Amino acid sequence: MRTQTTDRESIPELPNRLGIEGIEFIEYATSRPQALGQVLEQMGFRPVARHRSREVTLYRQGSMNLIVNANHEAARVELTQEGQPVLSAVAFRVRDALKAHTRCLDLGAWSVPSHAQAMELHIPAIHGPGSSRFYFVDRWREFSIYDIDFNPIPTVEVKPPALEGMGYFGVVQYIGAQRSADWLTYFEHMFDFSPIPDEERYGILPKGKLMRSPCGQFLWQLIEPEPWMDVEDSGECLQRIGLGVKDVAKAVQVLKARGVEFVESSRLHPEDRGALTRSVLGSVAFELVHQD
Amino acid sequence: MHMLDGYGMDTITLAGSLEAKLSAMKAAGFSQVMLMARDLVGHPGGVESAAQAVRDSGLRPTGFQVLRDFEGLSGHLHDYKVDMAKSMLVMCQAVGSRVLLACSSTSRHATDEREQIVRDLRKLAMLALPLGIRVAYEALSWGRTVNDYVTSWELVEAADCPNLGVGIDSFHIFAARSPLDALEDMDPEKIFLVQLSDFMWNETPTFEDRITTARTFRVFPGEGVHSEQLADLVMRLERMGYQGDFSFEVFNDDYQQLPLSTVAERARRSALWLHQDVLHRSAPLPDWTGSR
Repeated sequence: MRTQTTDRESIPELPNRLGIEGIEFIEYATSRPQALGQVLEQMGFRPVARHRSREVTLYRQGSMNLIVNANHEAARVELTQEGQPVLSAVAFRVRDALKAHTRCLDLGAWSVPSHAQAMELHIPAIHGPGSSRFYFVDRWREFSIYDIDFNPIPTVEVKPPALEGMGYFGVVQYIGAQRSADWLTYFEHMFDFSPIPDEERYGILPKGKLMRSPCGQFLWQLIEPEPWMDVEDSGECLQRIGLGVKDVAKAVQVLKARGVEFVESSRLHPEDRGALTRSVLGSVAFELVHQD
Repeated sequence: MHMLDGYGMDTITLAGSLEAKLSAMKAAGFSQVMLMARDLVGHPGGVESAAQAVRDSGLRPTGFQVLRDFEGLSGHLHDYKVDMAKSMLVMCQAVGSRVLLACSSTSRHATDEREQIVRDLRKLAMLALPLGIRVAYEALSWGRTVNDYVTSWELVEAADCPNLGVGIDSFHIFAARSPLDALEDMDPEKIFLVQLSDFMWNETPTFEDRITTARTFRVFPGEGVHSEQLADLVMRLERMGYQGDFSFEVFNDDYQQLPLSTVAERARRSALWLHQDVLHRSAPLPDWTGSR
């Protein structure tokens, strides 16, 4: 029975046809896994497991899983320029991975062929912007997918706590000139993301277009190149990860003590809203965003 | 900025190798070229060499053609067409074209159900979107369900994707005797391509007449019997605010056996007729005057 309140206000429920429930993991591809590992460890991530058959390492802190893929056969690793790591995949937690994958293909997504070895998980994926991929994972409640494909690193804590309670807040995607409408439509259509009004902003870099995932657990930001930029600078890629944190100033302090450098600029307004780490290895930066 | 910048030839008009076609167009003063998939796959060096030839020519691709009979199919036919579309999109991207031309279906196996056509067009647009390609959907005057530009526009509007628009071809408008008044209902920014050509008959009552004429005996704008209507069409598009390209889609068996420079010169004359006599645009002043 519907309650009177609901009838009176007719609150629309946001559709979530894939049953997205947050981010299961984010993946970097790199030919310099150790250098990237150091950066991640400064940020509070800890290596916890290694892939059984490939040069892939799982890092973790708190609720965040981060995979470093240095598998030489992976085309994405080959594509990394001069060893610069690239954000190569985001895995969404969904209600049913097969159904999510099938639905996306029906809507016009490009499927990624699986290269799972014997006894490994076949995680369905579609192509994302640039050389990136979106994975769909539906087994995250009852057990960990990493128990199948990964061997734990001995003596290491499997679930290291997050520094200052950090968690995935969102992903920043660089897009081509005048491509905002295209990508907004793509994410709305494929994943039921919804655009956030331009007045509503988070963090310290309020550029571009913002979307919210249908589960409400993370944001997605699209940033076009500046008009004066060359065509070469207008490539499309997943650019950086946003980390949500309750106390930005405290987190900045803790991370600085670990050797992380931050961008200090009058253009940015670090105060309480957020902070941006200095880009290292040519491409790796993290954005801290205030989150209650 | 040159006088012929908004006009381009189509490789299908000329005989010979891709390089010879590109060179003839360039020598006639054109700066863009509408490419046919056959130009790439038939190139002795393969698709990559063909794409390189286009890049080396300095000519900007107006668009890439042509995806046929995509919409309205089901089951294995639909899956097959999705594969065809993907291959075409990959080539379109390789050659640096931002527009893929898709013609309305002539297939007896295709449904006339509007919802499915809209769904398929949206799917095609989604397939093209991550590649940065826009789809221009064009009504063939012998299309089974969609055979005038008004219907193609209604479907494009219903599919509502930023990278899906219409392609207008003057031949089909004159052959089907479609009134031009409905142009005014269209959003000029959703016209992704305008192809211009004329022909020598006043009547093409049957689909067979239209097909034969379209494929063997089109002529350049200003050379046929519909010059007045063609001028009217171009002026209406100009008034609406259309700022895209005019490409000469001239299939002509005679032109296929003439020297390329002779045909390209006819194209140049046609472009000048449109530019000076129809649109009354003046020749731009030299750069040094500072008044562009």
